[in-house]
Amino acid sequence: MAGVTRQAAAIGGGTGLAPGRPRRLPAGPFALVVPGLLLLVVFFALPVLALLLRSVTEPEPGFANYAALIGSGTYLKIFFNTFLVSAVVTLVSLAIGFPVAWTLAILPQGVAAPIFGVLILSMWTNLLTRTYAWMVLLQRTGVINKSLIGLGLIDAPLPMVNNLTGVTIGMTYIMLPFVVLPLYGVIRRIDPAILQAAALCGASRFQALRLVLLPLVAPGMAAGALMVFVMSLGYFVTPALLGGTANMMLAELIAQFVQSLVNWGMGGAAALVLLVVTLALYALQLRLFGTAGLGGR
Amino acid sequence: MKNVIAWAAFAATVGLAAPACAADMVFVSWGGTTQDAQKAAWAEKAGLSVLQDGPTDYGKIKAMVEAGKVTWDVVDVEGDYAVQAGDAGLLEKLDFSVIDKSKLDPRFVTDYSVGSFYYSFVIGCNQDAVKACPKTWADLFDTAKFPGKRAFYKWSAPGVIEAALLADGVAADKLYPLDLDRAFKKLDTIKKDIVWWTGGAQSQQLLASAEAPFGSFWNGRLTALEKTGVKVSTSWDGNITAADSLVVPKGSKNKAAAMKFIAYASSAKAQAEFAAASGYAPTNLGSPALMDPALAKTLPDQQTAKQINADMTYWAKNRDAIGTRWYAWQAK
Repeated sequence: MAGVTRQAAAIGGGTGLAPGRPRRLPAGPFALVVPGLLLLVVFFALPVLALLLRSVTEPEPGFANYAALIGSGTYLKIFFNTFLVSAVVTLVSLAIGFPVAWTLAILPQGVAAPIFGVLILSMWTNLLTRTYAWMVLLQRTGVINKSLIGLGLIDAPLPMVNNLTGVTIGMTYIMLPFVVLPLYGVIRRIDPAILQAAALCGASRFQALRLVLLPLVAPGMAAGALMVFVMSLGYFVTPALLGGTANMMLAELIAQFVQSLVNWGMGGAAALVLLVVTLALYALQLRLFGTAGLGGR
Repeated sequence: MKNVIAWAAFAATVGLAAPACAADMVFVSWGGTTQDAQKAAWAEKAGLSVLQDGPTDYGKIKAMVEAGKVTWDVVDVEGDYAVQAGDAGLLEKLDFSVIDKSKLDPRFVTDYSVGSFYYSFVIGCNQDAVKACPKTWADLFDTAKFPGKRAFYKWSAPGVIEAALLADGVAADKLYPLDLDRAFKKLDTIKKDIVWWTGGAQSQQLLASAEAPFGSFWNGRLTALEKTGVKVSTSWDGNITAADSLVVPKGSKNKAAAMKFIAYASSAKAQAEFAAASGYAPTNLGSPALMDPALAKTLPDQQTAKQINADMTYWAKNRDAIGTRWYAWQAK
């Protein structure tokens, strides 16, 4: 037991080491990390570095690739698209995910379990299959448009695919579990007595929500939002299939550079920009909320 | 004890990997019904044990050749890429003492490649969904006469730009060098009515569901769709041909087997068999004689009267510049 505590302290950054304890950190937990770390370095970090290096060496040494990337209105628009889509998907996921997480948290376990089942099951289905399913549902001759026209609600089919609407619907559906699960965890930990206490002290429902509940839920929301935003930034399949070419996102541009145009210099430059933005957001998250929202405590 | 288990696991892994090493060579194509047909007509009959892999990825070819670890021996690539990659030193020269090129369609033979199959971009139309079907490229670009969405191939490749220029009145023999400004201006006029397809299966889905009741398609995909009972019409007026090529990446460890495979795959019999299964045309001039005449009639090599050959040499030279401009235009 003591060993576990010491290890936990070591993982926690060593700040909790009491005087008198051995100063040398135990090798045990680190040895366990080594194989995973090694795998990441050899098969992930090194190839990524090699690609990034090409961004300043191909076709000739210098920053021409970055200049081309930033100097072109088209590429800037793709950056803008990437952030726009990610932001919209994040907001919609939060708006839909919060009530779902809340409901799941207050429902009796027996009722909540099957809903969880549905949520998790959707994550196990192949991404491409799910995206194609949305395509069939949303297209102009799809089920939704045909039903609406059949009911006389609309005259012409609504454009719901090959545009921002299609991307938002498809990606929100995929991202929803990543918002619901952390939020659920945070909400479950809130003692219902706190809200009763707020009411007893004369808080209105709105005040209780704004002053008590939201601050308590904020880390979960931030964690979910950041996860969705960052995952959305690098998304490829869904935007490529449900979005129009005018909604092209960064990941698709990188794939074009690497596979189709075989221009690895530009591909590396675009990848570096995406990586820097993602890491910056992660750093911001750590600064604002620590690791609390990421599953640690 | 731990070591024993680790070594046993290692040995088991190596054992499992062994059959892969035992194959004579690896063939790579685009997957789907096309690669299935290539497997059945070529790989299983070439007298070699052939491992299938895919999909074709030009980034991977470059990575393998640069790293000196080439695991692909014969790759099915687009014709313009074959010319470009040959010039860039990414491919092995083919051994024409093994491969008989005397019967091969000379349009698709270079020092580094032979034609794999050839196809046409044709105008397809779902007859149940519209009153009238567009017959020419000019029709397909005429949104007043033929209102509705039209499907086009999304990636930068020979086909769409040529179609736009033909629709704008450029004579077939004056297409090259391509007037890109003019082509994009013409494409602008229908841009909001275009639905892009990224692969053959999607193009069939768009046409069958009438999401896009007409458009530009690979001829083989229309033949296949027709067989499923959809009322499809195909217009060969100004059909634009392009070919896929078979190439050997530089540094292939199974060069001899690769040459033998290509020799078989490009033979009259193998080409005829593949054409019958896929709806694409054979690149061996001896194949049509071996085929069912009714079937042979439906293939692009019989539609030469109003046929336009995409200029692979032009495309190979300008592939990168056109591609960059193409994707920028799409994203605009």
